[in-house]
Amino acid sequence: MFAVILLPNFRLQAALRFREAMHARPVALMDGQAPKEGMLEVSDAAALAGVMRGQTSPQALARCAGLTILARSPAEEGGAQAALLEMAAALSPEIEATAEGFCTVNLQGSRVNDWQALGAGVVAGLASLRLRAQVGIGPNPDLAFLAARHARLVLVVQSPAVFLANLALHELDPAPELLAVLRDWGIHNLAQLTSLPRGDLMDRLGPEAGRLWERAAGQTERPLRRVRAAEEFSEAFDFEHEIDSAEPLLFLLRRFLDQLALRLGNACRVAGQMKLTLPLANGSAYERTFTVPSPTADVEVLFRILHTHLDGLRLDHCATGLRLHITPTHAERQQFQLFETPLRDPNRFGETLGRLAALVGIENAGVVEVLDTHRPDSIRLRPPRFHEPGSMAAPADDGLAVGLPLRRYRPPIAAQVRVVKQQPVRLESARVCGAIRAALGPYRASGGWWDADCWSTEEWDVEMEKGGLYRLARVGREWRIEGSYDEPLPEDRRGLPALAAMPSTGARA
Amino acid sequence: MNFPEDSSCRPGYLGDQRAKVVQLRRLLAEKFPAMQSRVGGVLRTGLADLDAAEGGLRRAALTELSTGSGTGALFIHAMLETVRRERCFAALVDAARSFEPDCPAAALARLLVVFCTDAVQAVKATDLLLRDGNVSLIMLDLQAAPPRQLQRIPANRWHRLQRLAEQTTAAAVVLTPQPMVEAAQVRITAGEGWTLAAQRRWQRDLTAAARWRVFARRSAENHLPVWEGEHATA
Repeated sequence: MFAVILLPNFRLQAALRFREAMHARPVALMDGQAPKEGMLEVSDAAALAGVMRGQTSPQALARCAGLTILARSPAEEGGAQAALLEMAAALSPEIEATAEGFCTVNLQGSRVNDWQALGAGVVAGLASLRLRAQVGIGPNPDLAFLAARHARLVLVVQSPAVFLANLALHELDPAPELLAVLRDWGIHNLAQLTSLPRGDLMDRLGPEAGRLWERAAGQTERPLRRVRAAEEFSEAFDFEHEIDSAEPLLFLLRRFLDQLALRLGNACRVAGQMKLTLPLANGSAYERTFTVPSPTADVEVLFRILHTHLDGLRLDHCATGLRLHITPTHAERQQFQLFETPLRDPNRFGETLGRLAALVGIENAGVVEVLDTHRPDSIRLRPPRFHEPGSMAAPADDGLAVGLPLRRYRPPIAAQVRVVKQQPVRLESARVCGAIRAALGPYRASGGWWDADCWSTEEWDVEMEKGGLYRLARVGREWRIEGSYDEPLPEDRRGLPALAAMPSTGARA
Repeated sequence: MNFPEDSSCRPGYLGDQRAKVVQLRRLLAEKFPAMQSRVGGVLRTGLADLDAAEGGLRRAALTELSTGSGTGALFIHAMLETVRRERCFAALVDAARSFEPDCPAAALARLLVVFCTDAVQAVKATDLLLRDGNVSLIMLDLQAAPPRQLQRIPANRWHRLQRLAEQTTAAAVVLTPQPMVEAAQVRITAGEGWTLAAQRRWQRDLTAAARWRVFARRSAENHLPVWEGEHATA
């Protein structure tokens, strides 16, 4: 058996998928690129008001003043078509994307007893994806297609001869000239056509008439042009007006995610990455890709990631559309070591990182990565991957660190240093001034001598007469304070009130 | 002239008020169990004085470490070793971008560093991390921040951080140059003033030599601004 899943008025359905308010209203769809072609598809309410395919906008509006005319959107149609193919792929690996909004499934070999229930399941599944479908099931692809066309929801062709006998001739879409000749002969339905001898018909009207006869008799067999569902989990929406606030975007994103989560669930996948695209009024587009820290199909988690980002997003131009693409992946299965403490909620952590990045800048929050150089202060922050086992693997501490840790001044502070007998004896700078009591050094380092980015520095650790330990560095002839090891409270800081009294009794010095 | 009767002078007034506060806390705990403070245990630090006093850093509590900048940096590096040993995660919010990662990569790999432009921004970042609840140790380093920035932090921010800390199992430590976090449940101080000789000693010896002193509030039931006193000393 073969099944055909048909989405009637496919382009209009795709356009109305996320526009529930328009479902009961008269709506017509036209091609924004070729408006002269007139209306491509019209809704039932519009058809009742007299609007027909092919009418121009003025003609259609003359028939129905309250008509809403939408421009077709290939992106929206792409999302609907992908959903259709995913649903078909769940029935059988052998599917054919016969046309837009119409696919054929080879069910031969499937152990289904109740074809009606199978079709009803497909219709219900597509209804949950906001698509109205008709399913036809028959012994060959052409019969299944004819059944789908005539189905209210599901039509199973048990007896091809009975089913075909009552169909009008034009249901097979014959060439207009051939149809005219057959009508002149008084042939109006398929039963009348198949009552004629096939050979004689071909002798008089040519081979095309022979193929028409075979189709009318339900005897055509053709191989399917197999396609593989591309696992394209994307949804799109084009606004009629420019959008300058986040609320409409969030409203739609929530709906997108509801749909995409359903589709991911059907395909036994979870979201690994999300790509948000906002076409802008100036013709450009804003794009951002989000990696889901712990891949999931949980709508709440995915929505929070997008919500957090849109909360802090400022664009120079208004958005004219919305696209969301999800890269699917398999659900994570990982086992930590016995004493490993994993993140409780990696997705929440990812969201917090997003908020931190919005607060301090994306380059100022992360895990320290020491660059492969001995040049001082060669570090950068990279996004943490705490949820990935093994990402923290590193050799243990040897416990051999010497001296106080440095607190680095970023940027370093320019200084004047008096040197006597190759020892710094006095320091003058905007932050620290005074005589140097003792100094350790010099500690010399250099690198990059093989290219233009060569560097050389001479470092000293100094103790000031007034207290405080600092690191000085001489680069060329310039001195600077790189940081402090211990810094006494400055005079102005000593004035800070101690808010809670500390007990003085019982404290051992 | 008649003065209104001052009921606060009545004998037993403070005891009554304290009982009422305790009763109110119990009532709130029954009504809003999710908002109850969790007793999260302690995070062992590896610092003998601290571990002897409290068992380590209190989880679900705000701790203030009020020391000189050198001792503060020693504490941060000691905590990195703790994080590596305990295999948990930590965050360092640095108000002055002064952190120098001169420590083993194993510890750095478990540390989220947030460089902030000022102290107020650093407090906001800490707020976000406390709400997140994923990391076990959050250190807010304000020791290198200019005093003017520290004065701009409203006092109620500390109470807010304390309330947030109570909702998590993380140990939250604020490193300050002087005691200023009124809402802290635990305060740690240490000896001051290092000389250049420290630069020739092992860091672990320096950490052990710092005279860590721990002061804690009395129990959470009697949450009054009275410090219990010193638990342990070096």
